[in-house]
Amino acid sequence: MLEKCVASPPNILATLQAVQAAFGYVPLDTVPAIAAKLGVTDSDVRGVLSFYHDLRTEKPGKHVIRFCLGDSCRATHCENSLAAIEKKLGCELGETSPDGKFTLEKVYCLGNCALSPNMMIGEEIYPRLTPKSATAALEKHK
Amino acid sequence: MKVYIPDDSAAVSVGANRVAAAFPKDVEVIRTSSRGAFFLEPLVEIDTPNGRAGYCNVKPADVPGLLKKKPTPISKIPFLAKQTRFTFANAGLAKPYDFAALKKARGMKPQQILDEVKKANLRGRGGAAFPAGVKWQTTADARGQPKYIVANADEGDAGTYSDRMIMEGEPYRLLEGMAIAGLAVGASKGYVYIRSEYPAALKKLRAAVAQFTDFEIEIVLGAGAYICGEETALLESIEGKRGMVRYKPPFPAVEGLWGKPTVINNVITFATIPDIITRGADWHASLGTATSKGTMPLQLAGQVKNAGLVEVPFGATLEEVIYDFGGGMPTGCKFKAVQVGGPLGSIFPKKLLETPICFDAFAKVGGILGHGGIVVYDDQMDMVALARHLMEFTAAESCGKCTPCRVGSTRAREILEAILDGDGSDDDLALLNELGDTMKNGSLCALGGLAPMPVLTAIQYFGKDFRRRK
Ligand SMILES: Cc1cc2nc3c(=O)[nH]c(=O)nc-3n(C[C@H](O)[C@H](O)[C@H](O)COP(=O)(O)O)c2cc1C
Ligand code: FES
Repeated sequence: MLEKCVASPPNILATLQAVQAAFGYVPLDTVPAIAAKLGVTDSDVRGVLSFYHDLRTEKPGKHVIRFCLGDSCRATHCENSLAAIEKKLGCELGETSPDGKFTLEKVYCLGNCALSPNMMIGEEIYPRLTPKSATAALEKHK
Repeated sequence: MKVYIPDDSAAVSVGANRVAAAFPKDVEVIRTSSRGAFFLEPLVEIDTPNGRAGYCNVKPADVPGLLKKKPTPISKIPFLAKQTRFTFANAGLAKPYDFAALKKARGMKPQQILDEVKKANLRGRGGAAFPAGVKWQTTADARGQPKYIVANADEGDAGTYSDRMIMEGEPYRLLEGMAIAGLAVGASKGYVYIRSEYPAALKKLRAAVAQFTDFEIEIVLGAGAYICGEETALLESIEGKRGMVRYKPPFPAVEGLWGKPTVINNVITFATIPDIITRGADWHASLGTATSKGTMPLQLAGQVKNAGLVEVPFGATLEEVIYDFGGGMPTGCKFKAVQVGGPLGSIFPKKLLETPICFDAFAKVGGILGHGGIVVYDDQMDMVALARHLMEFTAAESCGKCTPCRVGSTRAREILEAILDGDGSDDDLALLNELGDTMKNGSLCALGGLAPMPVLTAIQYFGKDFRRRK
């Protein structure tokens, strides 16, 4: 599996993205193997892994929520919807809900700013969030 | 019967797919790009003898009987009718792309293309407003081989979405612009670096690249790092490394991707090229202000009634854009401030709304036009909370290479947090000013260099918010 993820020509970021696409995250114990296959050091790989916000080293929940904290969503008072979601999920930004269903991540802009505030679950955008519509969106994901 | 329904991701977010599915089989549903009047989406259009007409904010339940109702002619929607559209001329239409500019460019000598772009006085739309023709000439004259064309589709500025609209709506316009740049500078390959927050744009772009045989283009996916919109960090990221900003010089135009001469431009910059080639440099130079030529696709967001894409020639004032196009504040909201140019853009009070949309007019009043994002804030927005949010953003996104940005942003965030918690001291505002000066003058790139601007302008124009807590 790991073999298939190694980018050619060798490219650390592209390889880590492929690993994450395959496993949902980049298990830290795969780093030495990735480094060996790419011909770089473990710390080269770890450096890239820790730099990019998308890359995670822990298994995420079943659904990933990307909650927008961008300027337009701030301007339209997204904090109310965020608070409602955090309460409902029992976890904060950057965490996974105790039942393992949702990982709540922040994102700076989804390009849907004309219909702010926004969040994305999977690849679906939920626009014009209110505390009510935000928690209702969670219900749709079992 | 035929109806046109956008499949743009913003239109889809408010139900365009569900509306499309609600039409019976005898109605032909054609999916198009969005016109950018997002406050009217889903906008369902039909052909009439006098051009397109549409039904606004359609819900699936409205579909039975919808076509018996009287539609609004698109030409009677002021938000759209008053715009001057070139880069987005085909938005909402279902027009096959004709590549007329590329055909014409093939009949030109590379130097003729370069001269045309220089004469058009096209300035980059990604933020720094550098003349594209000068950059292209530098790469054309550079000795290294091979040469590369890179499209910056990172669109990191919150409050902007014009790159996304081009990639979803008319990706060939971008690819054509890149191919023309390739002809002009003698490049062998192009890259589009696209942010990971745009899955719909990525799919559309992939499909377009697969069909495009005139120039080799590879798509590279970002991984959620704002700094990778900065051109040298972006190149590092394409190379698979941490997105650390490079020292300049050497400039990418001479030593860019893998050390080779590289033209890097924003998506909208490339998307403006086809019109410059087909209509001519003089046409482009005839639009706009003395130093900002052509049109600017502005993106209205935040607390504004009619949020969406507004393409107008440079020179319109902020007030015209926000009130004449944007319709002003939503019911029940009062204007407090506007931020133009993304998270690094200055925060302006009402009195600066007379500022014209023009790179230099903005510079003169201590702001940036950036990528053309306009975010309006209402009077419920606490400027200290906003300033803290923006500094938290910078601290999170700093690549960490230079000290003023890495340490300065964290210190500034801490000070703002203290003010927010009511623990501010008299010296805090002076300290923020001093810290801001150090960041402005000592940072390696414009992230640290501009990050103090929204904070300092917020203090300058909304000092009351900062002082009332002491
Ligand atoms: C922190 C930072 C972020 C940037 N983000 C972007 C971006 O998302 N998109 C973009 O086109 N330019 C961005 N830029 C500007 C690029 O460095 C560069 O000037 C631009 O891609 C050049 O293209 P242009 O001349 O066509 O604008 C950013 C600059 C900085 C300092
Ligand atoms: S700022 Fe939230 S979608 Fe753009």
